[in-house]
Amino acid sequence: MLIALLFWSASIVVSFVVSISLCRKIEASGVPRWGATGKLFRYENRERT
Amino acid sequence: MSIYYYVVFGGYLLFLAWTCMKSMRQVESLSDFTSGGHRMGLLLGIGTTVATWVSVASVMGVPGYLYRTGIAAIIGWVAGWFLATAIMPLLAYKIRRPELPARTFPEFIRMRFEPFQKVSSLQILVAVLMFVGYFIFCHLQVVGFGIVFNTITGVPYEYAIFAFLVLLMLTSLGGFWSVAATDTLNASLILIGLAFGTGAILYATGGVGAILESVAQTTAPINVGGEPMEPGILLSPAGTFGWSVLLGIFMSNAIGASVAPHWIARFMAPRNSKAAVLQMMWAIVALIPIFICLILIGLGAKALLPSLPEGKTTDYIMPLIVQGHAPAFVGAMTLIALLAAAVSTANSMLLNCGTSLYYDIYRSLYSERKFDDRTATRHLRLAVLGLGLLAVISAIKPPMLLAMGFTYVYGAFGAAFMWPVWLGLFWRRMNRSGAYAGILVGIVAYIAARAMDFSNPFAAGASLSLVATLVAVYLTPAPPKEAYEAYFEPDVSPSTRAVALRIRGESAPEPAAVTPDAKREDIA
Repeated sequence: MLIALLFWSASIVVSFVVSISLCRKIEASGVPRWGATGKLFRYENRERT
Repeated sequence: MSIYYYVVFGGYLLFLAWTCMKSMRQVESLSDFTSGGHRMGLLLGIGTTVATWVSVASVMGVPGYLYRTGIAAIIGWVAGWFLATAIMPLLAYKIRRPELPARTFPEFIRMRFEPFQKVSSLQILVAVLMFVGYFIFCHLQVVGFGIVFNTITGVPYEYAIFAFLVLLMLTSLGGFWSVAATDTLNASLILIGLAFGTGAILYATGGVGAILESVAQTTAPINVGGEPMEPGILLSPAGTFGWSVLLGIFMSNAIGASVAPHWIARFMAPRNSKAAVLQMMWAIVALIPIFICLILIGLGAKALLPSLPEGKTTDYIMPLIVQGHAPAFVGAMTLIALLAAAVSTANSMLLNCGTSLYYDIYRSLYSERKFDDRTATRHLRLAVLGLGLLAVISAIKPPMLLAMGFTYVYGAFGAAFMWPVWLGLFWRRMNRSGAYAGILVGIVAYIAARAMDFSNPFAAGASLSLVATLVAVYLTPAPPKEAYEAYFEPDVSPSTRAVALRIRGESAPEPAAVTPDAKREDIA
């Protein structure tokens, strides 16, 4: 059971690592059209909505 | 059938009808119908991702596989699908980068590999493969729904599948907005319904400890009169598969599912790249409780019903358990969860099937005709209606296990599209010849390996596809910058923008902006 749950947990961890590193990359690019807002988890500037 | 079923089902039907009417008003352009006009927000994105992800094959197939093979199903299917979702943000990040993105998966393939062709045979080839694959997917959802409805309510299977057609039409005719809006409610219903079902099973078995103890000791065969199981096999990580086969299933689900065209189409809908990435990350969080429920239901079912009646497949396990061990209200809620899973996946598959047929095949073949948005949207609705009817008719005699059917199509999509998509998005040198070679060799090798009973047909198909892609790429000229620029640079040249506008049908300049690079590859 433990091995099976390890496989599953590892997949979940990979998801977070990949997504957060991509958000950082978008922020580093500074391109607003791609979603760079200055905040890691914000995808658009509130003023624009 | 209890009054609870009528009340819950009636409420659900009313909500779907209301959403459909509202969404049909929101559709103003062809982009709205096919991809939500590339302006979908995060909440709707998460809802539609979760609901599309949780299909009837996962809701019925995962407990079925746990019942049959034990916890190996967590590695092969659950962890495999989660890994697919974990790597999808890499694709989402690139797909949603262009200012003028493609509206469908075949159109993306055209923009990336054949931007200057007047009629793109690659777009048509991909659309044909998608059409066949998604028709099978739709068919499987209809079958799954028919099984559940018939087992729980006693309504004949043939009537149940035609009732499903009504639900499918309510959610599909409004296009992408209708699919996304109903999906968000469906995602909540799936979670609530499964939580009720799991609660009933935990109560009936005496809790997780009692379930694990029972599963560790059982030798009961899958069907009454079958061969007894080895004691403890259901809690062994590789189960009845063996590690090589299990890892093959894991990889097929992980990599194959990541390039499934309906996901690529989903990545085109969000407002920007970051929204596309975040929708996948938060969807994973929402999926965890859903899969905990499915795992407990599958293992709990083995404790409650050690062997299935003769002639019943493991697809029936969930409805049989709900019918035998849950009160009427819980049964109704679980039925709605299964219904929501079937509707939310089938409507998305149907939309993909319809857009492949009309937008990518018909419009490509008759490229000289003028299509205004209103006519095109009406034609698309008719295509969706016709295909929905065909999917229901084809489900009258269902042929195969649900989760396995999904694995076949996901495996085939993975073998065919994996390298054209991944290399197309991350390697500038990837070109048109490489895409043709990868797709054709991948699909043929996968079908041949499946026919020859290979233990891992996906690995065979994907490996040969990679070799063919690399050979073709290195033997032919580099692609024009108009093919890859939008996926690599923040700002594109006027010629790349003109090409994207022409393909999207928003303006049709003559290919005056063709660069020497473009001429080089198109001539080759």
